[in-house]
Amino acid sequence: MSREKLRALGLDLPLLPTTSVGSFPKPDELQQARTRWARGLISRDEVERLERRATEFWIRTQEELGIDVLVDGEQYRGDMVTYFAENMRGFEIGGFVRSYGNRYYRKPIIVSKVKWERPITVSWWRFAQSLTAKPVKGMLTGPYTVMDWCFNEYYPDRRATCLALAREIRKEVEALIEAGARIIQIDEPALSVRPQELPLAREALQMVTDGLPAYFISHACYGAFEKIYPEMLALPVDNFDLEMSNSNLDLLEHFKRSPFTKDLSFGVVDVHSHVIEDVETVVARIRQGLEVVPAEALWIDPDCGLKTRTVEEAIAKLRVIVEAVGRVRATLA
Amino acid sequence: MNLSLTNAGSYPRIGDTPELQILRQTLARFDRQEVTEADIRRAEDEMVRRAIAEQIEAGLDLVTDGQIRWYDPISHIAGKLRGTKINGLLRYFDTNFYFRQPILVDRLVRERPILIEEYRYACSISSRPVKPVLTGPYTLAVFSLVERMEYRDLERRVEDYATILAEEIADLAAAGAELIQVDEPAIVLDGANFDLFAAGICALARAKGTARLALYISFGDVSSFYERLQDLPVDVLGLDFTSSPQLIDRIAVEGSAKALGLGLIDGRNTKLEPEAEVAAALERLLPAIRSEVAYLNPSTGLEFLPRDRAFRKLQHLVRIGLRFKR
Ligand SMILES: [Zn+2]
Repeated sequence: MSREKLRALGLDLPLLPTTSVGSFPKPDELQQARTRWARGLISRDEVERLERRATEFWIRTQEELGIDVLVDGEQYRGDMVTYFAENMRGFEIGGFVRSYGNRYYRKPIIVSKVKWERPITVSWWRFAQSLTAKPVKGMLTGPYTVMDWCFNEYYPDRRATCLALAREIRKEVEALIEAGARIIQIDEPALSVRPQELPLAREALQMVTDGLPAYFISHACYGAFEKIYPEMLALPVDNFDLEMSNSNLDLLEHFKRSPFTKDLSFGVVDVHSHVIEDVETVVARIRQGLEVVPAEALWIDPDCGLKTRTVEEAIAKLRVIVEAVGRVRATLA
Repeated sequence: MNLSLTNAGSYPRIGDTPELQILRQTLARFDRQEVTEADIRRAEDEMVRRAIAEQIEAGLDLVTDGQIRWYDPISHIAGKLRGTKINGLLRYFDTNFYFRQPILVDRLVRERPILIEEYRYACSISSRPVKPVLTGPYTLAVFSLVERMEYRDLERRVEDYATILAEEIADLAAAGAELIQVDEPAIVLDGANFDLFAAGICALARAKGTARLALYISFGDVSSFYERLQDLPVDVLGLDFTSSPQLIDRIAVEGSAKALGLGLIDGRNTKLEPEAEVAAALERLLPAIRSEVAYLNPSTGLEFLPRDRAFRKLQHLVRIGLRFKR
């Protein structure tokens, strides 16, 4: 079903396409430049020059590794919600709030009507796609997650906030499609937080994607997905990209009881561990995935964005994925 | 009746200016082995001092130490006991905050007091009374993973945590704490376990001596078991009206035998609630409380807000509360 959709979009992908969730680590020179820029020591242009260089590095790296569907690596983003809040109207970037331990982020505050004013990610997508013949995913954060990760001082409730965001985020999707993106990933890691709100998340995603000609992926991670499965299959996307390895592939048991009816991007390496999985381990995980999802519907990637790892670790993890997929493909042919 | 203005627990441990980021920096430098644990203590002391100073400046009658030293509400206590190992991150209710889950690998033992030093330090630098805050036995038990067989039984976990926390309560009371707050948010996840939860609270109440015990429950609706909360042997019931809004009507009509902690100010959103709305709720609630004292406090700890907003929330609370003070 989804293979037909991919073909209709002009995408002819091999069995078990390899891909990434989105973020890659920023090279040291870019990290340092961001810090210096935050202190007012260098210009935004200088940071952007390094962001472009880093994006080129990651596109080239993915090509050399033999990845099938590329990402731009999100070298220009600080945080997945704050980045969009900074680039749309209606938000104020608040002070630091703790996310855990000694980690903090600036939590945006919705202070007036949210409004998409101009393309946010499109020029980065265009730039990344200009560097490769392989498809590059368009990437954005979904309305439900943006709503859940912001303070709201303007809208009467969560529903109104979420739907207002959906209306505006749709414009970014349209702009990506107009630029030529055919695979678009909408990250919704907050999806499992309040199972009773799944219908709202579904309605919002429907507003974002309805009638638009693209293959849609939604990434979610580190939540209690067993609480929203199989109901989550009603979301209007073609592919769920799920963290599986950090939770010992526990979700597969649920998929055995109630069939997984979408394409699955299957997280086969843990992004929170320094340890590089060996190829045999990843091959075994892919085989377990194939027990519940047919080969035509299975994509292979890391659990989540690799930005938590060093550049070397990220590359090593991707290399293991490509090698493991190669071995499994050989047995499927 | 006397209305006491207070905090419900945490206060931000960071702010926008460099002097408000010393704890973050010191912890990062500790990870790089550039500083010692004593440096961390000093940075924590400094941020506790600032948290208390801001609460007093805002006008609170009763302050907390801001739980500045707490890695999170669960592992700060569980991680200091023998028999636990600290595991990965899990989301704390429906907040954007994550805590570390303890694993129970052996029989739980309290080797030394956990909170008493923190409490004594806070008292030593505060011109207002300090309320110690701790997480209750049921919540610790629910969020603990289990390796040791006997702890598969939730009741055993609650029992052992309760024994340990009762010792903490006795120590805090002996050190002069007049009011001790116990947070039990996990009961909102499954009211069916009420008896287990109540047994834990009863064990703590037996240890309180001359101190008064305040049970605070946030992050969910308690209306389905509210009556039974009134029967518990605690002196104050802290209610999060942002999660249980319909309780306002009910209490206004039925009254409350117990002193209440009125969580009418949302501790989780930056928006300042309309003064008239909060005042209207207070006008209905206060006459219904059959007790010498009531508390006005945010619905949760304030760590979910940026520092400037947390301070503004407290100022807002005080502005409204002062209209009702005798
Ligand atoms: Zn993720």
